[in-house]
Amino acid sequence: MMEIYMDGLTKNYGKIHALDSINLKIEGHGCTGLLGPNGAGKTTMLKLATNIIKPSKGKVELNSVDVSVYPERALENVGALIEQPEFYSYLTGYEILEFTAKIKGLTKGEFASEIKRLGDLTEINSFLDRKTGSYSRGMKQRLALSVAMLGNPEIIILDEPTFGLDPKGMVDIRNIIKSLAKDHLVLLSTHLIYEARELCDRTIIINRGKIEYDSAMAPERDLIKITAENNINISGDKIRDYTRNGNVFIIEKNGKVNNADIIAELMEQGLRIDYVEKYDNLEDIYVSVINGKITDNISS
Amino acid sequence: MSKTSTIYFQYIKNYYRSRSFFLMLFLILIIGFMMSYFSVKYVNDLPKFLGGSVFPSSIKVEVFYYLWTLVLLYVPVFASVFFGSPAISSEIENKTAYYIFPLPINRYKLFFGKYFAAFTVTLFIIGLYMVFELVTLTYLLGTIPVTYFLSSFLMLILFILSIMAVTFLISAIFNKNTYAYITVFVIYYIVFEAGAFIIELLYKYTPVYFLNEAGSIIERVYININPGNAFVSHVDINPAPFSDIVLSGMIMIIYTVVALVIGMLLFDRKEVS
Repeated sequence: MMEIYMDGLTKNYGKIHALDSINLKIEGHGCTGLLGPNGAGKTTMLKLATNIIKPSKGKVELNSVDVSVYPERALENVGALIEQPEFYSYLTGYEILEFTAKIKGLTKGEFASEIKRLGDLTEINSFLDRKTGSYSRGMKQRLALSVAMLGNPEIIILDEPTFGLDPKGMVDIRNIIKSLAKDHLVLLSTHLIYEARELCDRTIIINRGKIEYDSAMAPERDLIKITAENNINISGDKIRDYTRNGNVFIIEKNGKVNNADIIAELMEQGLRIDYVEKYDNLEDIYVSVINGKITDNISS
Repeated sequence: MSKTSTIYFQYIKNYYRSRSFFLMLFLILIIGFMMSYFSVKYVNDLPKFLGGSVFPSSIKVEVFYYLWTLVLLYVPVFASVFFGSPAISSEIENKTAYYIFPLPINRYKLFFGKYFAAFTVTLFIIGLYMVFELVTLTYLLGTIPVTYFLSSFLMLILFILSIMAVTFLISAIFNKNTYAYITVFVIYYIVFEAGAFIIELLYKYTPVYFLNEAGSIIERVYININPGNAFVSHVDINPAPFSDIVLSGMIMIIYTVVALVIGMLLFDRKEVS
């Protein structure tokens, strides 16, 4: 069972509504991305899910256990990386992982195999015997990711995991997340649209403490982008709608239609096609949501 | 191994590698050497300001143990400030809470694991001083007042537990180490010490329910004089009566329990925002 359930989740700081009556259910493996501008409520949601803060109203359940009421039981199959955690500076990376393993209930044998697995995966072997007080930001982030993955928990909650990493580090972490999403429930917060697009099966956009868009509630339209040499009016049964900007056409398919069929139809109409690609409209949706244009997809 | 003991051993490791630990160790060694030096120097000729002309020679052993124990009224306070003041607030200020809070462990286990680790490290530091005391005084005086010493040690443990509990409570209130450090000092030295001083000055009455006054029992088991009671005229060179020991012990237990319960509740509701 892999499930995160939020019911009327609200967090207020005085008069500020950091999170406002969030209802959300995420189940099964895959990566769900939380997108939103700074201060939208993404990190607040993840902090509530990991017992770092308590809800003003509502609840978060992890695998049907309320995090606020039974944190130990709720978090026993969860790994989390929230913000940029620091570690006890007088302990080595190995000691941090060993301590985490004991808290998570791993045996010595399990810990030994986990150290090997995570050492290879997150490339932390070379600095595990150093005290964490001497770690760079990137080293700490890799150690934090290892802490989150230690014991192979079903649910992994990651808050901007690539923050502060060099480009190679970012690619490494994204590859790890892709691999994790195959058999874990990954909840990922990011403010990078391309990261959400690359990693996530489901995207949720949060703004001003509310869910404003959820791809699970309104699956993205199946769009293709065609760059042509000429510019003509097009039509046909296979095209539901299109927009044109110069010689660039964004075409919404009419049901399940092959790209090849649409291209053939358009070429018959006289369109000289240069290039065809799948059009990802997440960026447009994001901008619309943040500007307040999409209001009919609020999760309920 | 239970999660509380895992926390306990982990924080002991973190404490004994810390600069605070080595600073306390250095201080206690200096104090221990100084006390040993002065004991050797004055063993047969106690200066007047230390009561040389007041105490009869028949209670010489008790006098020396009393004087050595005077230090133990203050060392636990310093150790609590070093080890206890940042115990909770540092989790927030240093952002280690982002690592520790999402782990599958109840906060009260975390709280008590840390508390007993800080207690153990403090007891270790104080234990070193007591080794100095026992070695020096056994060498010079040839005897240990076992009953008094054990009573004093038991009261010392209660004093450390209570001052550490109060410190943890204060640490649980703040998110900044500096505020916790300052508040512990202010509470102990302004509220307790100065408060007791003013009450004694105005009313000629010792507020036994203050933690510092209750803690003074660790030396009053030898001679029933509280060096802080400057305005209470009564001086008793006999050991404190059993009823005083029980009362002081009870007061320290109450401080411990109340401070731990409130501190734990505050920690359970602590947020990192």
